Amino acid sequence: MRKIPNKRAQNMKAKQRANITFRMNILFFSIFILFTMLILRLGYLQIVKGEDYTRELARTEEVPVNTSVPRGRIFDSEGRIMVDNLPQRAITYTKMQTTKSEDMYEIAEELSLLIEKIPAGITKSDLQDFWLKENPEEALELVSDKERKKIEANEDLDKKEKSKEINRLTRSRITEEQLNSFTPEQLEIIAIYRVMASGYALSPQIIKGDDVKEEVSVEEFARVSERLGDLEGVNTTTDWRRVKNSSLAILGTTTLPKIGIPKDRLDYFLARDYSRNDRVGTSYIEQQYEEVLQGQKSVVKNITDGKGRVIDIQTVFEGEPGKDLVLTMDSEVQLAHEEILAKELLKYSNSYGGKYLKHAYFIMMDPYTGEVLSLVGKQVGSNEKTGAKEIQDYAFGAFTNAYEMGSTVKPATVLTGYREGIYSINATLVDEPIRIKGSAPKSSVFNRSGSIRVSDLQALERSSNVFMFKTAFGVAGKNYVPNQSINFGTEAFLKMRSGYAQLGLGSLTGIDLPGEVNGETGGFADGKLLDLSIGQYDTYTTLQLAQFVSTIANGGNRIQPHVVKEIREPSEDGVQLGSVVKEMTPTILNTVDNSRAEIEQVRKGMQRVYFGDKGTARGAFANAPFTGGGKTGTAQASEYDRDAGHSFNTVNLTHVGFAPYDNPEIAYALVIPDASLESSYKTNFSTAIAKELVDKYFEIKKKNKETTEIDSTSTSLIKPAFTNAKIDEEEND
Amino acid sequence: MENKKGFADRFDWTLAFIILLFLIISLFAISSAQTTGQYGINFIPKQLVWYIIGSIIIGIVMFFEPEQYKKLSWYIYGIGVFLLFILFVLPDSLALVKPMNGAKSWFHLPIGDIQPAEFMKTFYILGLARLITMHHEQNLIKTVKTDLILLVKMGVTLIIPLAFIMQQPDLGTSLVFLAITVALIIVAGITWKIILPIFLGGLGMGGLLLWMAVYMQDFLSDNFGFNPYQFARIYSWLDPYSYASDEGMHLITSLNAIGSGEIFGKGYGERIVYVPENHTDFIFAVIGEEYGFVGASIVVSLYFLLIFHLTKITLQLKDAYSTYVCAGIIAMITFHVFENVGMTIQLLPITGIPLPFISYGGSSLMGNMLAIGLVFSMKFHHRTYMFSKNEDD
Repeated sequence: MRKIPNKRAQNMKAKQRANITFRMNILFFSIFILFTMLILRLGYLQIVKGEDYTRELARTEEVPVNTSVPRGRIFDSEGRIMVDNLPQRAITYTKMQTTKSEDMYEIAEELSLLIEKIPAGITKSDLQDFWLKENPEEALELVSDKERKKIEANEDLDKKEKSKEINRLTRSRITEEQLNSFTPEQLEIIAIYRVMASGYALSPQIIKGDDVKEEVSVEEFARVSERLGDLEGVNTTTDWRRVKNSSLAILGTTTLPKIGIPKDRLDYFLARDYSRNDRVGTSYIEQQYEEVLQGQKSVVKNITDGKGRVIDIQTVFEGEPGKDLVLTMDSEVQLAHEEILAKELLKYSNSYGGKYLKHAYFIMMDPYTGEVLSLVGKQVGSNEKTGAKEIQDYAFGAFTNAYEMGSTVKPATVLTGYREGIYSINATLVDEPIRIKGSAPKSSVFNRSGSIRVSDLQALERSSNVFMFKTAFGVAGKNYVPNQSINFGTEAFLKMRSGYAQLGLGSLTGIDLPGEVNGETGGFADGKLLDLSIGQYDTYTTLQLAQFVSTIANGGNRIQPHVVKEIREPSEDGVQLGSVVKEMTPTILNTVDNSRAEIEQVRKGMQRVYFGDKGTARGAFANAPFTGGGKTGTAQASEYDRDAGHSFNTVNLTHVGFAPYDNPEIAYALVIPDASLESSYKTNFSTAIAKELVDKYFEIKKKNKETTEIDSTSTSLIKPAFTNAKIDEEEND
Repeated sequence: MENKKGFADRFDWTLAFIILLFLIISLFAISSAQTTGQYGINFIPKQLVWYIIGSIIIGIVMFFEPEQYKKLSWYIYGIGVFLLFILFVLPDSLALVKPMNGAKSWFHLPIGDIQPAEFMKTFYILGLARLITMHHEQNLIKTVKTDLILLVKMGVTLIIPLAFIMQQPDLGTSLVFLAITVALIIVAGITWKIILPIFLGGLGMGGLLLWMAVYMQDFLSDNFGFNPYQFARIYSWLDPYSYASDEGMHLITSLNAIGSGEIFGKGYGERIVYVPENHTDFIFAVIGEEYGFVGASIVVSLYFLLIFHLTKITLQLKDAYSTYVCAGIIAMITFHVFENVGMTIQLLPITGIPLPFISYGGSSLMGNMLAIGLVFSMKFHHRTYMFSKNEDD
């Protein structure tokens, strides 16, 4: 034997052997480290963090359930119900995540024996569903084995698509005859089932009771209530219908439960724990105060077993009805004003010049608090059914439509004149036709050709255009020289507009209603500065006009208007309003850059519009039983006539005012756009309407003062609505 | 003289007992996992059948001596590669190899779905062990050069099955192959001069890629053509709560299940969280939730005990080939356990590989039983030679 090489080889082998042992130990040590990491990580998750995970699980099991808490009601300033909830019996069904369609058919069948359900809204696919369920064997035969195999062999389809395709074929082969073979009883089952199936898991679906035409009778309610134990998921409960006691559009609208959250705002609401079939506000007050009006649903905890089935439901939070709103408006005043405006609008729209008269707006507010006392907008429309002409509510137009307002903005021009140092109090300027090279002369209505020296007071009293033009020249830093061309520059526009904006013209008022619009700002074309100074260029909303006059009336504070006065807890006894949660306090948006004396001077000028010898509103207001001030306005506008194919010149009639003179309690603005054809325009009839509206306010106030002296607690009592006009939510769509 | 010992003495009872414990754990966990009734199949009898088939496999494998495996290694390896090749070339439309869940990894046989990659792991270990043994026999004097040659040979042996498996695609199994290779590189005695730079470089590269995937994904996708879904896997692992992909959700449910098990667990059948695939890849979530930290640790420790036992056997074996085979099997089982348990507790990203001996699944169990059968065989046919003492010196 060759011993030496063998020995050497054995040596090598032994060495290698030792090396393997060493390496195995390293491997084993690494494995030990890995397993230690596993154990440490497990310890961290299960011991350190274990409770967190347990809590996490408990949290995800809590589900807010729509228990139909009543939405907050809306009252007027006197406690009269404007928007109410009517309770109604309802039968609901709540689907669980694990509910199967066979279970639902079973319950639908049982329910169909207990309640009557009009088989409305059944679709073809509902009928097909039912037929497939009733005739499983025949259904199988509709698609032959050969066809099935062919579909199965199709490589382009995945499993789901294959079964979909078979399903589609099966359905297409169910004959009309087969679908029409159902008995009325079966149709009832289908109708009930389709409502049950349309709901989302854990969100109760009203099977019966959400339709005025089909109310749940007392007997039905009792029959179902007795058998709730057998009807898994079914419940008898009280639902609420939203009923408005006023046609006032700004109260807003809500969706019906069967429509639920509007699609375009789905994410917004779902993120706030709404269910898809919740009633939500979709316009004006109902929308703006959605969070207040919407109650808090009860939160229940579903106790599930290992298979995800709900075995018990515990209430974690009882839920809260929505809070009530008390508006700043007195529905008596509001309604009276609506009647006046509607009556006048109808009258003038029927006159010859009123061909293009379509709208009229009126806003009255408290100049110190910003409370909107009445907000009226009317439009000429035609009845949906008869097609006859009728006056409709258009209240939101008062802050969504802007017009050229004419001379009512002159107080703003004068205040801007003071502010820019063009003149001071009691200054006089010569009213004379302004001749600018290349354009027709511009003059005041009361003075077409002469040359009269007018003071600031007279300028307002007589509505001097030229005083305003010369103010505009001054703001631009120019002197008026007849027959020269003009070159004002953009600076002047900016100064003028900033002066107006301080008062409320051209800035958003900040009213607590959605959709407010700012007027349109024109450009900077030189000659237009003169038009701007007399309200013939930029456009403003009626609400901006009302805020503007409030700012002057209260001495220079631009105040934010609001329609909600208080938020209150829901009434406890149904007799008295609930306690106040929040009272809306006046918000001053800004204070104008004019001195007290300057504002007082403008107020005096406006007083002379009503009571001065030559005041433009003297005819209507000179003998008023109240003090105050105002300003009239007419603006040239035009309205395009589609039938005639060209535009007609019209006039917008406007009026602003405040009363009484000292510490005014009301400030108001009236706007009647396209009130008359310019060709047949005779007189500014808005002045008389404004007087009638203000008179009505004082009249009602006087009457109410007499009654409240007898009953001093009346404001916190819930009173019936002022009218009997009931608008059910169903009629709103 | 070895034949003097009876069967009872040569049979590894400890190993058998450990496997029996796994069977019991497996049946408990699966029976609880399927209470959700999501599949409408009772997996318990099926798993029992797989265990019986597995035991038969062990019996057959044990019958042959390690020396015979050593001789046949390359043929066995070849058969495995051939199966992968067949799977690869047969058209997708063929019912026999129809892809499932987007991966073409199975033969759909009447007895059940068979995944050749599961067996290939063991076959690969055999091939690699043989390769290393032969290399050492031919190169008695080890140099850096011979080590490098060995490394290249191992690389070639790895790349053939790996390429087939990665295109199925099956990332999890591919990683198992890498783990086996890494372990055998260490045990094969390749000099640290080569191992260290490669391993450290690999670790560094991995770390860098991970860091870049989080902070420089634009750079990666622009310059290296990475797809966004590949980053998604990383994000859903590191921050499943803000990255709610399917995988992220899977991880969250798994964490909720295991975390809420706390120390002692909720008890058999009392689990609340539904974790998808909780009878196969996510079975550890069931164990963690129902038996808590105590139960989960016991299971992990049982695996460690198995590894410890296998290591002990390995160290007793005198024959290099058997040692390498055992080391490979140890690496395979370790990686499966570490990756599977790790992914359920957010230690590693989710990849679809089962928990050995516990997850439901025929191929996986048979593959593992095959490997364990080899260990049984080595132990069974292990001889203590008279001159072994000299050898040990």
